[in-house]
Formats: sequence, structure tokens, C-alpha cells
Amino acid sequence: MLTDLISDFSGSFEKDSHTELRAQTNKTRKANLLNGNLTSNSRSESSGVSARVYKKGFYGFSSAAEYTAESCRNVLNAATANADYFASHLSSAKPDLPPLPAGSVRVQEDITDPEQKYYIDFMREIDSYIAKKYPDLSSRSITAYADSMEKLLCVSNGYDSHSIMPRSYIYVQMTAPDKDGQPVEFFKVIGDFGTFDKNFKDPAALFPAIDSAYKSLCDKKQAVYAEAGFKTCILAPYMTGMLAHEAVGHTVEADLVLGGSVAGPNLGKIVASDKISLVDFAHTAFGKPVPLPVYVDDEGTKTEDALLIDKGRLVGYMNSRVTANHFNMTPTGNARAYGFYDEPLIRMRNTAVLPGTDSLQKMIESVDDGYYLLDSNNGQADTTGEFMFGVTLGYEIKNGKLGRAIKDTTISGVAFEMLKTVDMVSDEMEWVSSGFCGKKQPMPVGMGGPSIKCRVNIGGR
Amino acid sequence: MSYSVISYDQVKSGEDRKNIEFLRSVAAKCRKLLADANVTRYTCSVSRSTNNEFNVDSGKFSLFRTQFTDGMSLSVYIGDKKGSASLSSSLAEDANIESAVRDAVASAHAAEDDPAWVVAPKEEDKIFLSGNLDFDRDAFFGRLAEFLDTVKTDYPLIMLEQVISNHSRGINLYFNSSGTEYISLSGAYCSEYFYSAHDGDNSSSFMVSGYMFKDLDKPFVKIGNLEKSLKDAQNQIYTKPFAGKKIGKLIATPSLVDELVSSALENFADDYCILNGTSIWIDKLGKKVADDRLTISFKTNGEDFVGGQAYSSEGYLTEDYNIIDKGVLTNFDISAYTANKTGYKRAPNGGSNMIIENGSKSIEDMIKETEFGIYVARFSGGAPSINGDFSGVAKNSFLIENGKLTSALSETMISGNLADLLNNIVDISKEQEADGANLIPYISFDGVTISGE
Repeated sequence: MLTDLISDFSGSFEKDSHTELRAQTNKTRKANLLNGNLTSNSRSESSGVSARVYKKGFYGFSSAAEYTAESCRNVLNAATANADYFASHLSSAKPDLPPLPAGSVRVQEDITDPEQKYYIDFMREIDSYIAKKYPDLSSRSITAYADSMEKLLCVSNGYDSHSIMPRSYIYVQMTAPDKDGQPVEFFKVIGDFGTFDKNFKDPAALFPAIDSAYKSLCDKKQAVYAEAGFKTCILAPYMTGMLAHEAVGHTVEADLVLGGSVAGPNLGKIVASDKISLVDFAHTAFGKPVPLPVYVDDEGTKTEDALLIDKGRLVGYMNSRVTANHFNMTPTGNARAYGFYDEPLIRMRNTAVLPGTDSLQKMIESVDDGYYLLDSNNGQADTTGEFMFGVTLGYEIKNGKLGRAIKDTTISGVAFEMLKTVDMVSDEMEWVSSGFCGKKQPMPVGMGGPSIKCRVNIGGR
Repeated sequence: MSYSVISYDQVKSGEDRKNIEFLRSVAAKCRKLLADANVTRYTCSVSRSTNNEFNVDSGKFSLFRTQFTDGMSLSVYIGDKKGSASLSSSLAEDANIESAVRDAVASAHAAEDDPAWVVAPKEEDKIFLSGNLDFDRDAFFGRLAEFLDTVKTDYPLIMLEQVISNHSRGINLYFNSSGTEYISLSGAYCSEYFYSAHDGDNSSSFMVSGYMFKDLDKPFVKIGNLEKSLKDAQNQIYTKPFAGKKIGKLIATPSLVDELVSSALENFADDYCILNGTSIWIDKLGKKVADDRLTISFKTNGEDFVGGQAYSSEGYLTEDYNIIDKGVLTNFDISAYTANKTGYKRAPNGGSNMIIENGSKSIEDMIKETEFGIYVARFSGGAPSINGDFSGVAKNSFLIENGKLTSALSETMISGNLADLLNNIVDISKEQEADGANLIPYISFDGVTISGE
């Protein structure tokens, strides 16, 4: 665990500024088997200390890889000098930041860090199973991945904290020729919050998920093109989570609102069907820990859930201390930094559409001609709310029944228009946490939701 | 040239010399630890860098940050078993170096023999210098402040959501078990702009532009195509979806051409798809894969670039080459490892600093000669299928009708196949955009499906 060298500096923070001093270590463990060849086998670590100082409306920041009392002092001085540089060259009308409730939240125990052999041996068993059982594959790739982020934070105002966030995953990719000889592939991620040895004890426990992935690949070998145009679609939880994150979540990050996102003029207005509520959860949802819990953010704000859409009405943004002050909102702890060398930015934590009351079966039965879209390889959205998601697994729905698989395609729409077409929301709830959100810095995020039925533009022929 | 070879005596700054000696001492410690662990084959690079960065949010200065970073990347081979470790932690702390060596060695022991892993043979030790090592804080701040004023005055509808402008300088020392030592000193300015245009509650899509540059001799707005991109964004506030579905031409701006071509090369010519055999170009070496007018080169030491890659991570000195020469695929963009696994030739460099040869027609004429099509600056789409099929939303785009840009578009999708696109080139512009790392023209492609409501 990180040694606390930073708390001793709290007495030396300047009185007329807000100061954050953070020591941090990020670790990544990765190994990849491509057709049985170990193509990647690496461990990486990033550690150091940083300081951010808010003075007269400007932030100064500095970081150093060296984590000693001297380097803590150096980054504090350099961050102060940087804030002073702006203050001496620019005029600012920005007010001081309002005080935060103070306190401390500290992790109680360290996490395990298995040797690389553990990852490789586990992967080998998965790879052997696939190679033996599915010899018709033209290619197979298994990746074992784990990362963790440990932070020690000391602030001049707010909560001090010590946190550790580990997560670990197995990625399986299978490729086979389709009926026309063209390669098709399917990608499956298995994993969750927690260290690799806790999440992955028995390779055989993953075999059912791998069999299911192979079945999906076989369905794709026979896939047909979707019929292009606006269609009634049921988005499965993964797609709903992506919608929550990409198409809505980013537009309600307050820095993007200030940058001109579509959420600016829509605060307080109806932006979705009354069946849609959307929350960025901090650490607990429905009585259980969320995939990637955050208890104190990197500005020293004790976290709370951020209610963003309440029964169709846009009611809030995700904020930093500065933007919360600007919008006269209460910060709920969304300022997060990725590496020790990064400053906190407004980031999502665990963003989800809340489940409804419909059964998935009834939802499928209610569609005469549409699609059931289950999986995606990526998604992007605009500050206008216009979004695009890749679809890597989907099925036709004809007369209330699932039909043939469809070839890889994309869906697109404008979030606040598309969400108004939602007329059914399932009673299930699923989370995913394997992704990185990209916004100047990467950031692990969780996202989730139920299945939703909506009208959306689907690509195809 | 983007970099030059210098002697140690030509390293001007005492601080740089001190850092070189520090990195040499780290290398010596690392070599000793590896010898103690009986490791006889390895590659390693250690680095020390400083980054100074100004951030602008919502059009106003918000953050000034300074980062001091150390780095280490180590690969060891025990027999033919490879293990790697990397650090972004202090190299002044011996415990960090020891930990990286321990991790890499343990990883190698856990691996299995694969004779395809190689360390490049001994090369002459060299010191490379690229870009501009000197950070002029006040002049840089002045240029950025000037840019903010220019946008406010000349592009009143533009909202700069964020600007990230930095000067980064660093020293990297590479060494391997063959006895090679390369040192690279590099520095460059870089500025990235995230912006959209607004009129009341109406807005364009956001647009991203970014440039690397060596000097502060001209206003930021004059670098690359930034003026044109800002102007285009102001004309993209009021959009309409394309109605129906039609096959037409796609005129891609240099940044989109870069994205499409890079995506095609990644899908058909890089390590992963060649190693697993899924590339549709797997049997196309020496054969035509694109229009005769298409020549794509990787010139790591091109004169148009601010920084170039003088040596690969495997320890080979890089050489310029044409990956596609007049439509013919000459080489895959693959590492020595993939080359050894597959029997194909290793790429002469790591695939950076792309130049696409220009044509003879102006972009104005290319638009004039397009009866029906779409002009696109940004594409928001899923990763293409491994056969090259792609589809996604055309962002920052205009409809082209009868030789003119007519309405700005939204909710309009374009789809096609990357391999087909390269064979369906209508024209390549004489204008090229230099962004400091690449030199790319506009290209007009035929046979793209344009669809909307």
C-alpha cells in the first residue's frame, strides 16, 4: 500500500487557495494468447505525486514521478507558481469555491497482486478448451487483464481519502468464416470489480460463457443484413448502458454543458419518455455495491448519486466544484483523475437507466418487425446528443419472435429524441465495467441498465 | 528532416547532459540486475521528460500544468520466453528499477518458448535530435491568448469547448543486449482544439483539430487547415438529415482520409490481422490493392514533420518506405516478431509519419465535378468489420449537389467497404494538410452509400 507522505503537508497549504495533494499508483497486468502464441505478456506500473492549487479563479498543477517529502514540496510549489502565472497575466471574475463538508474515508486492507504465471496458466486452460472443442475457428484470442488504481488524497478543504479500485477481465475473441467465406468474429468480456485471483479461480466456470459466445458466432455465420431505416428495436442492457453513458451522460457533464452541449438549454425540460430515469451512481445501487464504487472524488468531495433524468425530465448535471458553483448545484463527486500526473476532470462513475416493470419476453412479443440488439464494439456521441453505436450481435424480431442474426451494423439517433420513443422498459438490470471512457484522460467507468424498446435508425441494406 | 544525428558534444544544455548521464546510470543498474538474474537477451528504454500545458475550457484559460515524468520499458528473453514490464515511476528510486526487472523476469519464466522473439543485432550508437527542446512559456502563452482573441473576433459563432496546448520535451535512452545504445532528444509544441458553432440553442457537431509544430513563428489559426475548419463549423449549425438512400461520392477531408486509410491498413496490413491470418490482403503482397494513383509512404524522417521515429522498439534503425506504391502493396506494416512468425518481411519502420502523394486537381474542382455526393470532415462509426465493411454517421458534413456544397447534414449515415474505397478513387487533391505528423490530401471516393431518414 502507499505510504502516507502527504498528510504532513496539510498544515502548509496556502490559506487563500484550495489545494489538493495526491499520491497514486496505477498497475496493469496483461497477457494475450493469439492462436496459442503468447503475443503479449507485460506488467506496468505508474506512480508519483501531484498537486493542484486553485487561486483567484485558476488552477495550477504539477506532478512528479518521485514520491518523497521533497517532491511533494516541489509539486506544491510548482502548482502554486503555475496558478500565480495565470493570476498575474489574466483577470478573473470567478468566485472562491464554497467550502465542502470535511472528513476522511480510508481503505482498510490491501489487495492481492498475483504473479504473471497465474494469468498465463488460467488463459492456457481457456485456450486449450476452445482449441479442442471448436477446431473450426480460423482464429482465437484470449486476453487476461487486470488493473488497479490506489490513491491517497489530502485536501485543504473537504474529505481526505485513501482508496483502491481493482478490476479484472478475460476477453475472448473468436473468428470463423461465414457461409460466403468472409471472416466473422465475436468478442466476449467476462469479469468485474476485484483482483484477478478473486474473480477467476476456476477456468471451467467460464466454459458456459464461452460456449454461449461460440453459439453467437455460429449465429453470425448465417447472419443477414439488417434492413436500413428507422425501426423498432429492443436494446439489451449493454446497449442501454452505452446509451446512458455515451449519448446522455457526456452531454450532462457540466464542463461539456459550458462548452455548449445540448443539455444546456434542456435543463428542467422533458427529454425522454416518462419511463426513463437515469442516475450516475457513486458507490451503491439497489442495495448493492456498484461495479466501480467511488467514495470520495479527487477534489475531496464525498460522493453522492447524481440524478440526471427523473421520469423523462432532465434535472441535473455531473459537476466539479467549479462547475457546481457556476450552476449553483451541489457537487456530487464526479471529479476524477486517471494517473498521478493527471488533474481531476468531470467523469462518470456508474451510469445507468433505472429498470422498469416490463418483462423482456413481453417486450419481444410486442414487436411485429424490428430488431433485438445485444452487443456493441464501441459507441460515440456528439455534444448535440447525436450518437452512433456499433452493433456486433443482433437478431431480427418478426411477429413477436426472435429470428435470424444480423450482420455487424450501427445504430444512430439523437438521444433526447430517441429516448422519447421508449415505450417499454424491462425489469432486469445488468452492469458492465470493463471499459475505459476517453476524455483527455482514460477512466474506468461502469454503465448499465435494463432492456428498452425504442425507435432508432439502423444501418444495413 | 524531422531529426538529425548529433554528437554528445553538440548536446547544448547542461541539464540535458546531466539527464543523459542519469539515464546511463539507470541503464547500468538495469544491466547489472539483468546479469544477476542471468538474463542475456533484453531490450530496454528509459526516459525522462517534462510537459508544460495550458488548458482552455469554454473559451477561457483554466489550468496550467507541469509534469515531470520518468519512464522505463523493458523486455527480457529467457531462452525464447519473453516477459515485459513498464514503469511510469521515478527512476531515481532503485526499488522501482528492481521491481520492473523482477516483474519482467518473472513474466518471462511464466511464458513458453517462442523462437520468433528477436533482439536487433548491434548497430552503431547514435544520438538523435528532433524538434525544439526550448519551451518559451511567455511566447507560447501569448500565441494562445492571441488565438482566443482571434476566434472571438473572427469566428463569433465558435465556442471553444476545450483547447489543450503543450510543449513536451524528453530524453529517451534505448539499449539492448546486442550492445546498441541510442539516445533521442526531442521537443515539440502541440495544440488540440475541441469546438462547435452555436446560434442561440442551435449548434453544430463538435469538431476536433490538432497540430504539432516546432516554432511559434505564426499565429495558431494559420497552422494547417484550422481557419477552414472553423469556417466550415460556422456553416454547419443548421443541418438537415439526408432523405432516403443513394449511392454517391465521398469527398473526405485530409483528417478523414487519414482515419480511413489508417483504418484500412490496420484492418488489412498490421501485426494482428497478419499474425492471425484474417487479413483480406494476406495474399496481396506485390499485387494491386488500390487505384494506381495511390501512393502511401511512412517517412519517419520527412522534412514536413516535427518529430520522427529514428529507431523501433525492437532496436532497428528506421527507414522510409512506401507501403502502397502506385496502388501496389509492397510490404505489411509488421514487427520483426510477426515477420518471423509468418515469413513476411519486417516493416522498415513502425508506421508513423504517413504521407499520401497528392494529385493535380484542386479541392474546389473536385467538388465542382461531383454531381452527387457528400463532403465529410469527421466520421463517427463503429470499428470496421475485418472484411472492411464500415458504416457510421457523417459528422461535420455537407451534401454535394451539382458541383456545389448545399445543405449541412445531420443524422446521415455513410457506409461502404474500406478495401473497395481504395480502388474507387475519383480524384486526389493537389492540396495537402500538414499537421506536423502526417501529410495528407483530400480524396474523392466513389460508390459510398449515403442514407438518412
